[in-house]
Amino acid sequence: MDTHAAYKSRWLPWVLLLPSFVILILFLYYPTIETFVLSLYQVAFLGLSKSFVGIENYKILFTDPEYLQIFKNTVVFAFFVVVFSMAVGLALSVLANQKVSGWRIYRLLLIWPYALSPAVVIFLFMFNPQSGIVNYLLTITLGIAPDWLTNPTLAMGLLVFVAVWKNVGYNVVFYIAGLQNLPGEVLEAALIDGATPWQRFWRVTFPLLSPMTFFLLIINTIYAFFEAFPFVDLLTKGGPSNATNILIFNIYRDGFEYYKTGMAAAQSVILFIAVVFLTILQFRVGEGRVHYGG
Amino acid sequence: MKRLATVVGLSALLGFAFAAEKVQITFWHAFGGGRTAFIQRAVEDFNYTHPGIEVKVEYKGSYRDTLNAAILAAKQGNAPHIVQIFEVGSQLALDSGIFVPIENYVPADLKFQLDDYIKPVANYYRIGGKFNSIPWNSSNPILYYNKDIFKKAGLDPENPPKTFNEVAQACEKIIASKAAPKCITWPLHSWFVEQWIAEQGALLANNENGRAARATNVYIDSEAMKRIMKWWKGLYDKGYYTYTGKPEDWDGANQLFVSQQAAMEITSTSDVTFMQNASFENGFELGTGFLPVPDGVERNGTVVGGASLWLTKGHPQEEQEAALTFLLWFTNTENMVRWHKGTGYFPVLNTSVKVLEWQNWFERNPAYRAAFDQLLQSKANRATQGALIGPFPEIRTIIENMVQEIFQGKDIAKALSEADAQADQALKRYNASVKK
Repeated sequence: MDTHAAYKSRWLPWVLLLPSFVILILFLYYPTIETFVLSLYQVAFLGLSKSFVGIENYKILFTDPEYLQIFKNTVVFAFFVVVFSMAVGLALSVLANQKVSGWRIYRLLLIWPYALSPAVVIFLFMFNPQSGIVNYLLTITLGIAPDWLTNPTLAMGLLVFVAVWKNVGYNVVFYIAGLQNLPGEVLEAALIDGATPWQRFWRVTFPLLSPMTFFLLIINTIYAFFEAFPFVDLLTKGGPSNATNILIFNIYRDGFEYYKTGMAAAQSVILFIAVVFLTILQFRVGEGRVHYGG
Repeated sequence: MKRLATVVGLSALLGFAFAAEKVQITFWHAFGGGRTAFIQRAVEDFNYTHPGIEVKVEYKGSYRDTLNAAILAAKQGNAPHIVQIFEVGSQLALDSGIFVPIENYVPADLKFQLDDYIKPVANYYRIGGKFNSIPWNSSNPILYYNKDIFKKAGLDPENPPKTFNEVAQACEKIIASKAAPKCITWPLHSWFVEQWIAEQGALLANNENGRAARATNVYIDSEAMKRIMKWWKGLYDKGYYTYTGKPEDWDGANQLFVSQQAAMEITSTSDVTFMQNASFENGFELGTGFLPVPDGVERNGTVVGGASLWLTKGHPQEEQEAALTFLLWFTNTENMVRWHKGTGYFPVLNTSVKVLEWQNWFERNPAYRAAFDQLLQSKANRATQGALIGPFPEIRTIIENMVQEIFQGKDIAKALSEADAQADQALKRYNASVKK
């Protein structure tokens, strides 16, 4: 049978695809290519003048201890954000999936943070070392008042906490959906065979949820790398002394505050390659372990 | 139906014709909140009194956002006529090449206004002997203190500390008497460091602070800097100094002071009006004093901070003239008086100061006095003129990171020399990028 049978002309499909191509080229491919090109230039004033420097920008990035510190921070941040937001998301969805009275309200409340704007200034007030509610409560209960943002470890911890808090709702939505679609007979069979709740979860539920987990792993990785900018900008500005400076924040800073467009482009390319590499790796490793049922 | 269309079409044409008679000027600034409304009102006054010109004013976000937006717009050949640019962006604005040196275009009969600027302001904005922009909002840091806490601690509420040691001594009393949980705060911002360098008569960059020629070396590893850091670290270690932990957190520092968690705050004079209202609302008496300086060092004065208004290149002559007319009107004697009263920013013209004095303004509003006296008593030299450094925003971050490292226990000498090397590197790369 003629594969073109559905169309009267050979060109029609291309014409129909044209709007998508125009948008893709204009807003996706062109900026990507331009970023690659810019990363080889030393650019001043957002592009008013530029000169070709080859891989100089990359050389600086991989030899400057400050940038190496930023790469390290990014890895630490992304790792903890992905692990915690998925683990907490899963745990909360299992709890919210129970048929207890008021379950609708619990689910709504769990999803809530996701719907909020990422401009979470409230944390700045809550964790203010002098006048914040957190230290007020800690002082009257434990007699301690940590300097949340001046201690590098605590500052990173707080940043991870906020990023997790913001994204848990998203994971809960997907995990609850996944839990609701589990085949009831498998769990029933396990129950009849005398499996404990613990065994039922780890041997039956968790493996059955693996496609969802796999999907969320990729989405959360992208989230941790690309969407953490507002938290850093609002809470720490990368401080204390670069301890919470992560790639996406530094790209903004180099690009729009310091006018080092070439350096910013080079970092974007590195971030791009890192995330593409991670995603491919996840597909390679994940594919074999994910159980799609059926 | 046809007739209606004709009428609509004709009136649209008329509208165009009418609009075309007016010269359209766009003005981008970085003041949000109440100041937006303040500027809007002034612009409306101008449009009303100048029927041939229509100024459109737009708030473009932070200083940095405004500068970025202006550069991008200029790149696309669509620049606004007037842009507000922060003081440390002056060298950057010059290097960007999208602005005209304004003094060359000021008509002879209005030149007197350029000679009317108070000296510290003229010193800052005259680059190479010429105004490249029109000074507008100007401020510098002063000490705000809570007189009630001072009384509770047994300190003289009319005599705020003037030197580093006096601050430390006052803090000892305030903390020991438990009059306040913390003694002093200011935003962890390089601006204060720059001011203390100038107070000591020291430079922040070579080639006379980048004023005689382009700066090629940043002076962070200096005796003046060491003095500041030693004192600051001491206050921090003893629990006298506090900040929110976030760099450049102006609001956070104000919150600490206004909520009476700290007895003193060092911050911009542009907050005088805000502080007066806030102290009234929170029920304490506000005092102001000069910026405390290192002991045994002659007080040189402060550097003017704030922003100025720049005129972009490449507009038809009538538009450029109209924009300049607006600029000179907007910053004239009457408008500067109004601006000062509404915000606390300095009245930057000698004649506007005279008007305020004639109105007994400073007697009736003593909080504004310290701010102004401090500025007028500044000596005119290269130190108080302030440094011109292209990558100033980046150097500020380097200094702020250095301070945080010192708080965490890094050796001061080591932190200074490392930051110095970093700053020199940043400057070298910047200078290489602007040499065409």
